[in-house]
Amino acid sequence: MVITGENDVAVQTNRSGGRVTVSRGLVTIGVATVALFVLSAALDPASVSGTSLSGMLPVAAVLAIAGLGQMLVVQQGGIDLSVAGGISLALIVVTHVPDGDSGRLVPAIGIALVFAVVAGLLNGVLIGLLGLNAIIATLGTNALLYGVNLEISGGRPRITTNLLADVAGGTTAGVPHAVVIALVTLGVVTLLVKKTVAGRRFEAIGSNRLAARTAGLRERRHHCLTYVWAQLLYCLAGILIAGITSQPTAYSGDRYLLPSIAVVVLGGTSLLGGRGFPLPTVVAAVFLQQLVQLVSVLGVSPAISPLVQAAALAVGVSLYTIRWTALVRRLTPDRAAPSGAPT
Amino acid sequence: MSHAASTLTGAPTVMRLSGITKRYGGVTALSQVDLDIRPGEVHAVLGENGAGKSTLMGVATGATQPDEGTIAVGGTEVDSLTPRSVTDMGIAIVHQHPAVLPDLTVLENLRVALPSSVLPLGGGTEAARAIVDRVGLDIDLGDRVDTLTLAEKHLLEVAKAFALDPTLLILDEPTAPLGADAVDRLFALVRSAVDGGTAVVYITHRMAEVRQLAHRVTVLRDGEVRGTSTVDEITDEDLLGLIIGRRLDSTFPPKPDVRDDAPVGLRVTGLSGHGFEGVDAEVRRGEILGVAGVVGNGQTELLRALAGLDRFTGTVEAAGTGLTQATLRADAAYVPADRQSEGLMMKMSVRENAALLALTFFRRSGLTSRRRELDAVHRSMDSLSVKSASAEAPVSSLSGGNQQKVVLARALLSEPPLLVADEPTQGVDVGARAEIYTILRETSERGVPVVIASSDAKELEGLCDRVVVMSRGQVVADLHGDEVTETRIIQAAVTSTAEVVADAERNRTSRLGRWLDSEYTPTLLLVAVMVLLTVLIAPGNDRYLSAFNISNLLLGATAVGFIALGQNFALLTGGIDLSVGPLAGFLVVVASFFVNDGSSAVRVVTGLVLMLAVAVGVGTVNGLLIRFGHFTPIAATLTLYIALGGFAFLLRPTQDGYISITFQTAINSTVGPLPVAFLLLVALVVVLELGLRRRRWGLVLRGAGSDEDAARRVGIPVNRTIVLAYVAASTCCLFGALLLMGQYGIGDPSQGSAFTLTSVTAVVLGGTALTGGRGTFVGTLAGALLLQQLLNATTFLGLGSTSQYYFQGLLILVAAVVYTLLGLRRRRLAGV
Repeated sequence: MVITGENDVAVQTNRSGGRVTVSRGLVTIGVATVALFVLSAALDPASVSGTSLSGMLPVAAVLAIAGLGQMLVVQQGGIDLSVAGGISLALIVVTHVPDGDSGRLVPAIGIALVFAVVAGLLNGVLIGLLGLNAIIATLGTNALLYGVNLEISGGRPRITTNLLADVAGGTTAGVPHAVVIALVTLGVVTLLVKKTVAGRRFEAIGSNRLAARTAGLRERRHHCLTYVWAQLLYCLAGILIAGITSQPTAYSGDRYLLPSIAVVVLGGTSLLGGRGFPLPTVVAAVFLQQLVQLVSVLGVSPAISPLVQAAALAVGVSLYTIRWTALVRRLTPDRAAPSGAPT
Repeated sequence: MSHAASTLTGAPTVMRLSGITKRYGGVTALSQVDLDIRPGEVHAVLGENGAGKSTLMGVATGATQPDEGTIAVGGTEVDSLTPRSVTDMGIAIVHQHPAVLPDLTVLENLRVALPSSVLPLGGGTEAARAIVDRVGLDIDLGDRVDTLTLAEKHLLEVAKAFALDPTLLILDEPTAPLGADAVDRLFALVRSAVDGGTAVVYITHRMAEVRQLAHRVTVLRDGEVRGTSTVDEITDEDLLGLIIGRRLDSTFPPKPDVRDDAPVGLRVTGLSGHGFEGVDAEVRRGEILGVAGVVGNGQTELLRALAGLDRFTGTVEAAGTGLTQATLRADAAYVPADRQSEGLMMKMSVRENAALLALTFFRRSGLTSRRRELDAVHRSMDSLSVKSASAEAPVSSLSGGNQQKVVLARALLSEPPLLVADEPTQGVDVGARAEIYTILRETSERGVPVVIASSDAKELEGLCDRVVVMSRGQVVADLHGDEVTETRIIQAAVTSTAEVVADAERNRTSRLGRWLDSEYTPTLLLVAVMVLLTVLIAPGNDRYLSAFNISNLLLGATAVGFIALGQNFALLTGGIDLSVGPLAGFLVVVASFFVNDGSSAVRVVTGLVLMLAVAVGVGTVNGLLIRFGHFTPIAATLTLYIALGGFAFLLRPTQDGYISITFQTAINSTVGPLPVAFLLLVALVVVLELGLRRRRWGLVLRGAGSDEDAARRVGIPVNRTIVLAYVAASTCCLFGALLLMGQYGIGDPSQGSAFTLTSVTAVVLGGTALTGGRGTFVGTLAGALLLQQLLNATTFLGLGSTSQYYFQGLLILVAAVVYTLLGLRRRRLAGV
């Protein structure tokens, strides 16, 4: 697989050693998102109204958090299909255990976190230590998570606690709390990955596992723990859903499986592993969710939304994988300037 | 000794290379090289690493296209050579790294690599037996190649070449991994081939072998022919002189005058490990230890052990302190030979690479301080004079020499107790080379023991105070002081007659072992589980074995089965097809517009043709995106997954379009309790399974998935094979869709996507490896049946969907763990 390596960093202001760097993924998805909002306003102002945004943003926040978890796994060259089971189990635990009693919410969250750690460790041991394929291991874990889920819920939804509805589903000064939580999560993930020793090593390991091992880093331990961090983020996403939705179903996590992978890819993180891009991942979540919102406001066929998503994904990936300049040069009939500088 | 000797004689040539020049970027790999190869003669090509031997053979076998020069084969000039045309001309090559496909058996490897005129596709086991017997390869034809030792793989490669009865045979360092017996046997074979008129080109490092085998010898150095002679007419001294030559001296820093009573810097005692044995070495503080030898004689393995990366026995002491493997791994600095794949994170910046191991020094209240980090990196970049646009430039944008300095900066910033460097100046220009020598010398003078392995003896002479020379894993010379000269080092390396340490005798597989290793073991395990389930459930439930339940169960399994067969094609190539589920669903939606009650036959046929066109189209798009768009299989097929779901909703926003009852009845028809469709599925599985083992397409498919690079070298068209595999995957979905038409009876845009994960589960249960090249269609069928049986059993036992999830999850995890452990066992047995 050939990945052109030189374009991770597109814009670079070289002030005092280049502090400000904007990733190519951020430019791409940022421009696309702005364009989408402009288009939304032009087609139907209702799609960017306060009501519309307050409906769209909390869901985007959930997707953003799940996407950040998926991003950590993808950074290590893996993929996590148990995102669906993780989210669903968390939301079932925080609705079924308290059963409407806000006083029991905190222990319920504790239980959900324990499940998340166990599920993450299961994935991590199977993949990071035993060397199982990530698709298979997380597929199996996902089924087990749904088994536990149905054991607890029997497949029936329960009404969420008022406390969680206020904290996770409420708004302050018009800003949905879910958005604040997502932004804080983004900040924490960015800080941990980009500014701590462990985080920096984590990125290096994802970038070249062989070199990391040769350099003496504990690459297996990092690889294993990745799946725990991811499950903790899915757990948070599940708890948020339980706050936003009054009666979340046992399978609510399923609709986040493919979008969580899509936002990671749209954000510029390579499925082969390497550097992760948290901010673009979050922006991509807003992009996808606004797309869904626009389609529903316009009342056109719901088929448009997946089709645009697929197109965005194809364009997004090919921006990184295909060397367009070389291709254009080869397809240009005028071969007068073969390997010279393109004009 | 004369350049003209070869051209003066009138003997016919098998191949004549004239004025061959090849440049890579600014580096000239070959310059005006002439080579005459005559029938009935062994022509040795001798030279050091990087002399241009392999490039020259690449030109002769069509793998490399020269920039200048002409090639004549059998007296006629040819425009260009390709690996394929070369084989047709009767030219065979034994690669230094054997082009064998690990997941195929010995017999299959022979079949896929040899033309059917030599080895007929069906049968021909006797011919194959003769081919391996000829080289003295004592293995079972049914052994999979990944269970062979490296030496056996080499002999297989040799066997393939001799089987072609070539007019020209090229052997590239053929004896490196072979034991004495095998070498004798190989030499005997070469001699008998030469007696039969074959021309042989023999590439080697070893002068002893030239004496034993060759009639003529050509010496290459720095891409130029330094001389051609008949072997009898040249002395060892003259040959050595041609190999070494007089080179421009690099500037080496002066060697320090270390007193005899100076403290010991590094002491290695009785060090043994994978690839080396009983190594003793000692240097005083301030001295640099060199490790010499022809590449591949245990130097890299020794260095990796010193860096704590591989296990070893014996002791390592630095500055009087014994160091364990764990300490060495954590603290010792290692500069690997392959800096692009093992040394650097190529996409990351200079700063990130340089700071990686010293990050704890930059910590300030838990977080890395950017200022401290930048200061340290800048200081280091200045002192090592790293030339880079900025510390934030990606390390891939630097020249080789500057990349190497970044590796050294990383090593030195971490303040290691020991610095180990493998080929530290490989691919580094002359200027940077001198700077790197100075860095290493300064490090040593600061008291950090430095160990360097290099295939360039001149470099070791200039840089090291003590040099151990290795051959076949053992130290064959220990030079110090004035003895550290290029001539002494090369002499020790090329005249050694040491033999390979423990010519790893393969653990002969027991019958149980062989059974565990079979690709059909998973199928048998699944069948056993199915029988067990039946025995557990049937006695308490009369209806379980009723015709109704059986045909119901089998119909469900048939739909999954067809889709899983498709998935199996994708997995065999080492990819995955996430789009199979939505594709099956979408095809049902398409059918719901054409195959209705009252539709004319033409309309029905049009619909079916359209479905086929869609399936082939989707497979083609998947394959093209993966092979030519460089998408990962997941990214490509995920795109199609989402798009197909969209198209389904576009065509049928809600459930509509009833499938013709006649059609449904036909699809669901049974013979006794057995659905006709299921019987067809079984028939298809049998055909595919036989094809996968016996037909060329099967070998090619598994070969491409097994090892892409080796597949290409044996002439498999990898791109075409993989694209066609995705088309086959989609076509299988079409059959699955026909069954779903019978089960749903209506166009439903929301159906289908669940089949993606079910199909992956079925295929993995059946034992197909996600790494490609290994798997069966029978196993896939068994996997689909077991999944359906479990689904059916849970409802029968009134267990509900909870246990259904548990069963599925446990089943796939247990299967994956078992198969992974079997895989590990296999690799351990192969000694990899």
